Parts: sequence; C-alpha cells; structure tokens
Amino acid sequence: MSARERVLERVRSACQERERTEHPGAFESRDAGADPASRLTTLATMLEAAGAEVVRVDGMVEAGKWVRRFANDFESVSVGVTVPSQLRPTISTKGSHEAALGLSMARAAIAETGSLLMDARDGRRTQLLVPTHVVFVYQADVHPTFRGALSSVRADLPSAIGLHSGPSKSADIAQTLVTGVHGPGRLIVVLVA
Amino acid sequence: MRVSLFATCLGDQFYADACADAVRLLRHLGAEVDVPAGQTCCGQPAYNAGRRVDAQAMARHTSKVLDGSDYVVLPSGSCAGMIRCFYPELLVGDGARAHALAQRTFELSQFVVEVLGVQRLGDGLSGSTVGYHHSCHALRELGVREAPLELLAGCGAAVVDWPAAEECCGFGGLFSAKLPEVSAAMADRKLDTLPEVDFVTSTDGGCLMQLSGRAGKRGRGPVFRHLASALWQGVQGGVRA
Amino acid sequence: MSGHGTPNRYRQQATHTIRDEPYVRESVLSGTDRANDHRNHAYAEIDADRWRDWGRDAKTHTLTNLDRYLEEAERNLEANGVRVHWAETAADALTVLRGIVREHDVRSVVKAKSMLTEELGVNEHLERLNVRVRETDLGEYIVQIMGEPPSHIVAPVMHLSLDDCRQIFQQVLGTPRHGTPEELVAAARKALRQEFLAADLGISGGNFLVAETGTVALIENEGNIRLSTSLPRVHVAFVGIEKLIPRFEDLAGFIQLTARAATGQPIGNYVSFIQGPKKDDEVDGPEEVHVVLVDNGRTTLLADEAAWEALRCVRCGACLNICPVYRQTGGHAYGWTYSGPIGAIIAPGILGLEEALPLPFASSLCGACADVCPVRIPIPELLLHWRERAVEEGLTPLTERVGLEAYTRAATHPLLFRAGGTLLRRTPWQLGGTALPILKGWTQERTTPEPSPKSFQALWKEGIE
Repeated sequence: MSARERVLERVRSACQERERTEHPGAFESRDAGADPASRLTTLATMLEAAGAEVVRVDGMVEAGKWVRRFANDFESVSVGVTVPSQLRPTISTKGSHEAALGLSMARAAIAETGSLLMDARDGRRTQLLVPTHVVFVYQADVHPTFRGALSSVRADLPSAIGLHSGPSKSADIAQTLVTGVHGPGRLIVVLVA
Repeated sequence: MRVSLFATCLGDQFYADACADAVRLLRHLGAEVDVPAGQTCCGQPAYNAGRRVDAQAMARHTSKVLDGSDYVVLPSGSCAGMIRCFYPELLVGDGARAHALAQRTFELSQFVVEVLGVQRLGDGLSGSTVGYHHSCHALRELGVREAPLELLAGCGAAVVDWPAAEECCGFGGLFSAKLPEVSAAMADRKLDTLPEVDFVTSTDGGCLMQLSGRAGKRGRGPVFRHLASALWQGVQGGVRA
Repeated sequence: MSGHGTPNRYRQQATHTIRDEPYVRESVLSGTDRANDHRNHAYAEIDADRWRDWGRDAKTHTLTNLDRYLEEAERNLEANGVRVHWAETAADALTVLRGIVREHDVRSVVKAKSMLTEELGVNEHLERLNVRVRETDLGEYIVQIMGEPPSHIVAPVMHLSLDDCRQIFQQVLGTPRHGTPEELVAAARKALRQEFLAADLGISGGNFLVAETGTVALIENEGNIRLSTSLPRVHVAFVGIEKLIPRFEDLAGFIQLTARAATGQPIGNYVSFIQGPKKDDEVDGPEEVHVVLVDNGRTTLLADEAAWEALRCVRCGACLNICPVYRQTGGHAYGWTYSGPIGAIIAPGILGLEEALPLPFASSLCGACADVCPVRIPIPELLLHWRERAVEEGLTPLTERVGLEAYTRAATHPLLFRAGGTLLRRTPWQLGGTALPILKGWTQERTTPEPSPKSFQALWKEGIE
C-alpha cells in the first residue's frame, strides 16, 4: 500500500467512527458599506492604517497625469503587464529587481480588509521586488467584503493571487515595526474613478 | 433559608478562620448555616492529576455528604467549579443527583450577590485599598468576575487596578509542587505588578497560600486575607486583627 | 542556549531559562503583553464570539469529512498542474524532498516560515544533502544563524532582545554595534535579496488548503513568502492534512480570524493564494509546484476520541501569548517545535505520549487559552485527557500514584481524613519537606504554610459566635 492509501485509510476509518457534521454556511462579516462611497472610504482607511498611502483620481486622464508627475522623482520604473498605456510614465524602464519604482494594476480590491487583489498575470516580480510600489485599482472593482471578492474571481484563477494590504513589514526585532523588509517598503494605492 | 457550607480540604485545615467568617457572614445575611458532617475534599487534586477513578470516588463521597442541602456554599471558586462543572460528567450513573447538586452549589461571593441579591454589606473596609486576585476557576468556570468586586466596593474598599489581576497565580494544585520553578515565576509576575495595597484578597485559599508563600520567601509583600474574612470585616466595621 | 531540548526535560529546561536567562522571560512577557493587547482590540472590533463559532464549526465539518476533502483537494491540485505527494511520516516527506532536489539539481533553497518544516527537520535534511538553505522570514533567519529553533509559532525570536539581534547582525552582516532595527532590517534585505534571486527551489508551508479549488493559502507580513513561492523555478509546499478547508470562500473567514488572533491585524499585509505553476499567459512564477500532504501523527490525533479537536488549530499562537506558563519561559523550554498549550495537546499524537510527557502537565489549568482560541479548541479538557491517558498507561510517577491513592482513601473515610488533619498539626511540619517530594517542591520556592491552630470542623463543633 502506498503512503497515500495508508493515510487515507486511517482518515476514512476515523471519519467513520464519528458523526459527520454540516458546514456552518457562508462566512458572514459586517458589510463594509453597500454604497460605493463608503466602500472607498473604508478601503482607504484600512490601507492607511496598515501603512499604505492612498490617492484618489478622477478618471484615466488624471491618473496618467498623477503618475507621470510622481514618477519624475524616480530614476527607473518596472511596469506590470496589464497596466494600460495611458498609465505608463516616460522615465526609463528597468528589470523589476533594479527598478526604483514599480507600477501594477490590481484586479480588484477589498474594502473590509483594505486589500488589493494582485493577479499573477500582471507580473509577480514587479509586485514584489521594487522598493516603491504604485498600484492602480478602478473604483468600480472595489468589493465591500472579502468573501464577495473571492467569489468574483473564483471562476478565473491565475497561478497565484497576492493580496497586498500594506507595505512589507516586520516586528520580529524587539517588537519594533520596520517597513520594507523583503517587499516594497512603500505602497501607494491609486483609486481610479 | 438553609445553607450548607462546604469548607473544602484546604479551608478546613489552613483557612479555618475564614470558613468561620463565612459562617458569620451567611448568618448575618439571614441564612441558617449547617456544616454537613463527613465532608472532606471535592476530589480536584486527583481529577487534575488525571486520576479519574480517585476523583470519582471523592465526588461520590462528597455528593452524598451534601445530599439534602438547599444550597451549598464554598469559600472557594475552584472547588465550587469542580462540583458545578465536572461532577455531572464524573458521576456517570448518578447524573440526576450530580446535576441537582451542581445547580445549588455556589462560590461565596456569587451566592451573596446572585442568590441573596445583596451588594452592600457595611462600611468596615472604608479607606482600605485592596488588590483582588481573580482565581482562574471562579473567573472562567463559574463566570464570577463582578460579584467579589461589587461586595468589596460595597464595604467601602477601593479595589486597585492590578494589571495581572486575572492572570493565574501559579498554584494549580499539584502543579505548584511538580513544577515549582515555573509556578514561582508565575507568582512573581503577580507580585511584581501589584500596586501598593493594604491587603490582597481572593476567594480561593490555594491561590492565597501560593501568593503569600512566595511573597514570604521573597521576604517582602503585602498582607493576604481570604475574601470571607475581608467581607466579614466589611460587615462589622472597625478593624479586626 | 536552551534550544535543543526534549519535552521530557521540560522542568530542567524551564528552570534553566527562569534562573539563568532572566532576559528571556522579560522579552517574552513584554512581547506577549503586546500581542494580547493587539488581539483583544482586534476581537473587540468584530463579533468575535460568532466568528469563533463559525471557525470551530467549519473546521469540525472539515475534519469529520476529511476523507472526501483530501481526495477532492488532490483532484483539484492535479487539475491545476500541481504535483501531489503523500507523506505518512517525516521520513516520507524528506524522501519526497530529496527526489525533487535530485530531479532539479537543486543547490540552494529559500524557505518561507513554516512550522511543519521545523517539525519534519527539513533544514537539517537539506544540509545533509549539501544544499544551501536559507530561512527568509526575518525572525527565522535570526534563529537559523543562531542555530536555534524558533521559540514561538508566529514570532520566532520573541525571546530575543534588540541587543541580542544587534550582536548577531554585527557578526554576520557587519552592521554597527548599536544599529537601529531599521539598519539591521536593511542589511538583511540586501543579503536575502541575493538569495531569492539565486535560489533554485522555494519551500513553504501552507496555512490553508482549499479542497474545492486546490488553493494553498499563506499569510505573512514581510513578503518573503510571496518571493519564495514566486521567484525560484520550483516551489514545494508542505501542508499538514489538517489544513484543509472546504471552499474558496471560506478563506475569507479563516484568514481574517487567524490574522486577528495571531497579530491583531485585520489581515496580513501579504496573503498568497497559490494555484499552480506559471501559466502560458504569465510572465513569471515557478515552472513546477509540488504539494506534500503530511500526516506524521495527525491521523493518530484524528482517531483519538477527544484529541481530534486539536486538529482545528490554525497556528495563530494566541494560546501561547495568553498562557501564564508559556510566558515565564518562552518556547524553548518545551523542547520541541510546538510550544505552549497547543504544543502540549498535539505532542502526544505526533511524538507519542511517553515522549511528550510532561508537557500535558505543564499547565495550571487556568483556562485562559480556551478564552482566546479562534476555533474554540477545548485546550484544558484535552490537557486533562492526556493526563488521564498517562495515568492509564502507568506513565506518572510512583510517588504521585501512591500519594493520591492514599489521599483518596482518606478523603472517602472522614475519620481517617480528620486523623490526617490532626497529624498535620502535631508533626513538625518543616520536616515534611525532606520526606515528601510534594512538600519539597513547595518549600523550595515558598514559605511553608501554617495550618490553622484548629481545623474549621473543630471550630464548628465548639460553636461559632
């Protein structure tokens, strides 16, 4: 018998000894605002509490202007695959492990937890290796609850999803909070209307 | 109202005065108190050591001794918790008796507040600052948190804010003798965080024995007094030695 | 250092920490105080009782249907292109790993924080295979350098002070003697970045494994888990069979509950959902993903009439933080991977009861752990369960057995009990300390209690005024 069969056999016999219980049903949490405005406020508040910066822009044109202005302070940029051309700055591009700035497009956001849902199809390295990470998210893609966001992406899953809810941080050393441990030390979230 | 006092093994041998004060307090509040003959130990030392059969024997004995009482009151949260929470499961085959006993069994302060509905006893603790140690089993098995605090405040005492008030003192019965170094460190944590007080009180003799024993070994520490004695002092007014 | 102990030597190890390493107790007390504050705030923001009921019920459902969920997970993992392995024992798991190392000619490994790989001895195994292995979680990196195991499930270096860390970083990375935490972290970032870029293999654990989608979910704050599972060309996740959850949507409940219980955060700053190897329309990610489903004693726990409930554990560490016993020593005293209350109730399943003793006795049964557990494991009941089993199997000390049998005889014979009370007053009490181990243990750390001059029952007979 293989290890698989031996393990499964023991699990089966334990399960047969015991009454099988029902699933308690969907996890219900507080709704972070049914209306889009309060959803955005919750998302921004949660992200800021976790150490991220939040910018709101009114449409793609304004977003493009904002990012070109912002990128001027950086030497080089690495840009995610799915970032629209209007949002690409004019500074020189570099590989993700050398670039000073990274730009990514979030697939969705979660107000309840203050999270950006990052799809592997946008490119993982840009999401992780740059010291400063700018993430665009369309305001229409903000879900009130974590569960709602999960069910919206469930049918189309890439090889990996990363939920980013703040800068990389650690309090391992003497319980002192330090940012920028392995991932980006600065996370700027641009909420695009 | 007839109340049977179960002194507990530790109360009987080490906190006899506190048990007597519990009798005085209950009588003062209008109860007719009796002390059922043949009472010994609730069985907790064996139960916590994993000696279920021994614990069952003691539970059987104790439940018989306490048969026929209207209410059973203990000057201990731990032993009251033993009877209320674990007797029904221990006394298999005698479930009805065990359940009935569990229902009518109370820790002293719990009984005074919940059953007698009394919160103000007197002003005998006016001007005293008191540290209250919540015994784990009173707090978590019986859910007794406010009753002792209300009664102490009701006697005029100022109960101080003690950061470790709800942390375990490290007694834990045999635990204190089997792992004395860890147990002592737990008591140290309690004593190190204790503000200046006139005395420390608790409803469990075991905890008081642990904390006072450790404070004595360290060569400094506050006065310790069982809750029953503190409350009786509160009724009486004036200062008792 | 007290890192490499055994559960059997718990008392000696705990005593060593308390007496000879007082700074460990200080660090652990302040670290756990902070963690408890954070968790209390995080629980207060939600309907914690209802969330915890849900967590308990969802895990109980999974465990009582684990046979079908394991098979469902396996099917979906394979459908995602993940290679699934089963390991009945730690040796099985290491054999699987050796196969992967050989197949891909792995020279260097980056490791994301995982308690299961500690349990299995993955690092030691890789070193024996001459593979360079680097822990990348900051705390794990520090204990790896020190040659110690982590002392806490969530915060591996809770036992170390800033100065301890400074000394280590000065030796290894050449940071200033009085470097700030920021300077130390910057040095570690630089050193470990090279390791991430160069590694052939990334190893992780798994907080949850979703049966319906084959998703391995991981929670963290540093980004090292995302990096370890994204950069190397091969990723291996070791996942205990108890980590299953039924549905993708259930992640919403479990991730929030775990984060709030562990660190008081609404969510970890990074959460990874791993579905499989890089797809054709993706620019990066590992070419191969393996999931090793590990038993290693978990089915022993599952078969146990009471202890199976411990398998609900989500490894948040809340029971360690609140435990007054853990707080005096930190985790090394326990002498194995999982310390504190949860460690004491799973050790008998994973190590065997005799090997695990006296951990189930290393508790005052105060019950604080049950108050905070996010999945409501009845930890004090399970500690008692293992104590009862130890008694049944004759594994407790003879003196304790004889003493408690004698005590029981007295307590069920009131005359004998009263005679014992009289003896207590007549015997020179202090002498008892040398005769009875129980008194010796007591008097070593405390003054001897004075019996009341007369027992209460004697006072009662005389009449109480």
